[in-house]
Amino acid sequence: MNKRGEFGRLIFWTVLAIFLGLLICYLFLPLMGVSPSLAFTTMVTGVFSDKFTMGNILIKTTPLILTGLAFSFTYKANLYNIGAQGQFYVGCMGAVAVSLRLAEKIPGPLVLILACAAAMAGGALTGFIIGFLKAKAGANEFLVSMMSTYVVIYLLQYSLGSWLQEDKHEYLKTNSIKKAVWLPKIIDGTSVSLGIVIAVIAAIVVWLILYRTTLGYRVRVTGQNIHAARLSGINPVREYMIAFAISGAIAGLAGFTEINGMQHMLLTDFESSIGSYGIGIAIMASANPIGVIFAALLFGFLQVGGTVLSHSTDAPASVIDLMLGFVMLFVLMSFFFRRRSELRAMKKQALTKEV
Amino acid sequence: MERKQNAQPPVVEIDHVSKRFAKVLANHEVSITLHRGEVVALLGENGAGKSTIMNILYGIYHMTSGEIRVDGVKQNITTPRDAMALGISMIQQHFSLVGAHTVTENIILGNVRGKIDYAAEEKKVQELSDRYQFGVDAKAKVGDLPVGMQQKVEIMKALYRNTRILIMDEPTAVLMPQEIDTLMEFIRSFVAQGNSVFFITHKMREVMQVADRIVIMRNGEVSGTVSKAEVQMADLARLMIGHDLEVLSRSEHDEKKEAVRLKVDHVTVERKNELPLLKDLNFEIHAGEIMGVAGVSGNGQDSLCELLYGALTPTSGTITLDGKDITHLNVAQHIALGVGYCASDRHRYGMVADMSLSENMMLKSSYLHRWDKGGWISWKSVDRYTRDKISQYSIKAPDAGVTIGSLSGGNQQKAVVAREVDMGQNFVIFDQPTRGLDLGAINYVHKTILGEREAGKSILLVSTELSEVFTLSDRIAVICEGKFMGIFRNGELTTEQIGMLMAGVPIEELPERENNAEEGGAADGLKGGQT
Repeated sequence: MNKRGEFGRLIFWTVLAIFLGLLICYLFLPLMGVSPSLAFTTMVTGVFSDKFTMGNILIKTTPLILTGLAFSFTYKANLYNIGAQGQFYVGCMGAVAVSLRLAEKIPGPLVLILACAAAMAGGALTGFIIGFLKAKAGANEFLVSMMSTYVVIYLLQYSLGSWLQEDKHEYLKTNSIKKAVWLPKIIDGTSVSLGIVIAVIAAIVVWLILYRTTLGYRVRVTGQNIHAARLSGINPVREYMIAFAISGAIAGLAGFTEINGMQHMLLTDFESSIGSYGIGIAIMASANPIGVIFAALLFGFLQVGGTVLSHSTDAPASVIDLMLGFVMLFVLMSFFFRRRSELRAMKKQALTKEV
Repeated sequence: MERKQNAQPPVVEIDHVSKRFAKVLANHEVSITLHRGEVVALLGENGAGKSTIMNILYGIYHMTSGEIRVDGVKQNITTPRDAMALGISMIQQHFSLVGAHTVTENIILGNVRGKIDYAAEEKKVQELSDRYQFGVDAKAKVGDLPVGMQQKVEIMKALYRNTRILIMDEPTAVLMPQEIDTLMEFIRSFVAQGNSVFFITHKMREVMQVADRIVIMRNGEVSGTVSKAEVQMADLARLMIGHDLEVLSRSEHDEKKEAVRLKVDHVTVERKNELPLLKDLNFEIHAGEIMGVAGVSGNGQDSLCELLYGALTPTSGTITLDGKDITHLNVAQHIALGVGYCASDRHRYGMVADMSLSENMMLKSSYLHRWDKGGWISWKSVDRYTRDKISQYSIKAPDAGVTIGSLSGGNQQKAVVAREVDMGQNFVIFDQPTRGLDLGAINYVHKTILGEREAGKSILLVSTELSEVFTLSDRIAVICEGKFMGIFRNGELTTEQIGMLMAGVPIEELPERENNAEEGGAADGLKGGQT
C-alpha cells in the first residue's frame, strides 16, 4: 500500500462525499420553494463573481482553522477539548482589553504583539485549568471543557457590562479599537486581514510541534498508549496539562485574529458557533493540522455560499447549517466506505501470501 | 485406529480450508482429519495458524474457502452453538469463566432454562468432577480457585455438554509442572472412552507425551503430519521452523569475582490494608550475571520489574545500582542511569502500535536529548539508527517508517529488545522476553541476552517458562506470592524441585535435595529442539 495511492484515494472519497452532500442538500431545496439549479448557479456566481465575497471565505475560514487546530491538538493526546468556544472568548477578552488600554500609548505593532500574547495566554490558562482538573482530580475533560464554555460566556457578559463596556454604557459591547491596532489588510478590495496568514502559520507550527519536537512526540505517545508512555518516563498527567494549555492557546489566538483582524470590537454572542464547527473540521481532517486548513476552507465556502443563497433566493438562512450538516455527514461516511474499499482491495489480492 | 478408520468416516475432516483476514492469510489450504479415540496435536510456532483453524471449526471465525465434515457429513458451522450441537467444545487459552459465580453456575450457564434446581445441578456437577477425579468442589466460587482448577472447570463445562470432540488451545501455558501431568492423564482417559481431542501447543515435549498424531503448522499451512511413533523431536523442530536450531552456549560464570552492580536490600512493597506485593527481598546481581526469576505468573513478577524500573516505590528498604541509591528515583531517572526494561506485555507497555518503527525506537529516550537539539527531533538520525538496528537484529521490516504494529510479533519483540538493550547500558530487566514468540525468534532473543551478559551488564530475567530460566540464568530465584523462596545456582535444583518451590513448598520440605543435584535442571527443562 503506497502512500501516494492512499492520498489519492483520500482526495477522491472526500470530493465525492462533498459532492454527494451538496447534491442531497439541493434535493431538499424544492421543499423550500427554491429551484436547485437556480440555487446552484446563484451560489457559484454569487460567491465567485466579486472579490469581496471571495475574500469573505478567507475571513470565515480564519477562526475555523484555529478552533479546528485546537480540537486536533488535544485529540492527539486522546483528549477531547469541547471548550474551544470558551477559550476563544477568553482570547477575545485578552485581545480587546490590551488593544483598548494600550492603543496610542505605545506603537501599534507592539500593541498587536501584546494583544496576541494576551489572547493566547488567556486561552492557554483556560485550557490549562481543564487539563489540571483532568490530571489532578480525574475529572472528565469532555464535560469540564464543555461546561467551561458556559462559565466563560457569563464571565464575558459580566465583563461587557462592566470593565470592558463601551463608554456609552448602552449595549453589552466594547468600544471599537483604534485603527492603529487593526491587523493590516492583505488583499485590496476585501476585508481579508493578516489573520488568515497567522492561522495558516499556526497550522504549520502545530504540525511541526506534533511531528518534529519531543514535546509533540510525548503528547502523541500519551494519546496512543498511555501505559507505554508511563513506562517510558513520560508523565501522562503532565502531558494532559500541556496539551490542554496549547490547545487553549490556539483557540485564544482565534480571539486575537477576530478582534484585531475582523470585528474590531467585542460583543455578546460573537461568532458563537466556531467552537463546534472546529470539532467538525478537526474530525473531517482526521486531526491532521494541514488537513484542517482545507476542511476549514470548505466550511468557510459553504458559510459564505449559504449566506449568498439565503440573501438572493427564498431559502432560509438555516440552509447554511443544512449544507454543513450534510457535507459533514457524508465526509464521515466516506471514512467508513474508504476503509471498506481498502479492505476489499486487500482481500482481492487473490489469496496470495506476503513474504 | 487404522481399523476404525476403514469402518467409519473420521470424526472431523477439515478439507482445504483457507482463512483470509484483511491483511493476512491466516490459513492456506489446511487439511486435517481427526479419528475416534485419537489425540491430534497441532504443533507450530505462534502465528502459525493453529488457533485460527480451530476457531473456524468451533464457529468463531468463518472460513474463506474449503469444507468441514463431521462424521462424514458436510457441516456449516457459523457459531459456537452450532459446534456444540455437533459435540465440539473448545477451551480457549484465556478462560471464559465468571469469577463471582460458583463452579456449578459457571457450568450450567447457557445450558439451562427457566427455574434452576441448584441442588440437583450441583449433584450432577459434583459427580462429573468425581468421575474424573478432578477434586473440584461444585459449590466453590470460581474466582477463589487456582488457575489449574479453573481449567478443570472449563473442561467440566465441555463434559457437561456431552462433548466428544474437545479442542484445547495451549492448555498447559498456565499450569505448573505437576498439574500438566494430571491434565495429560485426563486427556488419555477421555480419548480412551472413544472421544477425540485437538491439542494446540508450541511445546514439543507435550506433543510427545500426549499425541497420537502430530500436525505441524508453519505460516498458516500444514507443513507435515506424522505419527508420534515414527518421529524424533529434532525432526519436529525442523518441520516447525524450517531449519535447525542453533545450540546456545553459555560460558561459566563466577559471580564472586565480579563486582556487585545491583543491590536490593530488604525491600518491601506494600499498600495500605493490602497484602504486600513484594516481601523483604534481598539480592544482588553482579556484573556479567543473569539472575533468573522463576515463578507461576501473577506472583509478584510484574511488581518486581516495575520496582526495579522506578515505576513502583518501595515501602521500605533500599536499592542501589553501582553504589548509587536509586530507591526513590522515577522511571525517567532510571532510564537516564542506563536501565533497560523489556516488559512482558510489549503491546501495552513496550510499544505504540500505530507509530512507526523509528518513533518506537526513540520511545524511551525522549528526555535524553539523544535525538533532539532543544526539543527539535532529528528524524534523520533516528531513522539511521533504526535502519542500523533493523540490519543488526535482522528485523523483517521494509523500512524504518512502517508502523511497528504491522510487523509480526517476533519482529516487534526484536525491535523492543534492540531498544532496551541499548537503553540498558548497565542493567537490563527482561520480563518474559520470549512470550508468544516462535522458536527462531526465541533463539535470537536468547542469544542477545547472553551477548549482553558477556558485555558485563547485570540482567534480571523473569520467566514462567522454566526451560528459559534454566537455559540462560547463572542464578535462579524462585518467587511465590511476592516472596523469594530462595536463590540457587543454576543446576543446584531439578525442575521438579523448582516446581514445588514455585507452588509455595518451603525449601526445608523439599524431598531429597542433594540426590538430584548433579543432574542439573537444564537437561530436564530444555525444549525438545535444543537437545
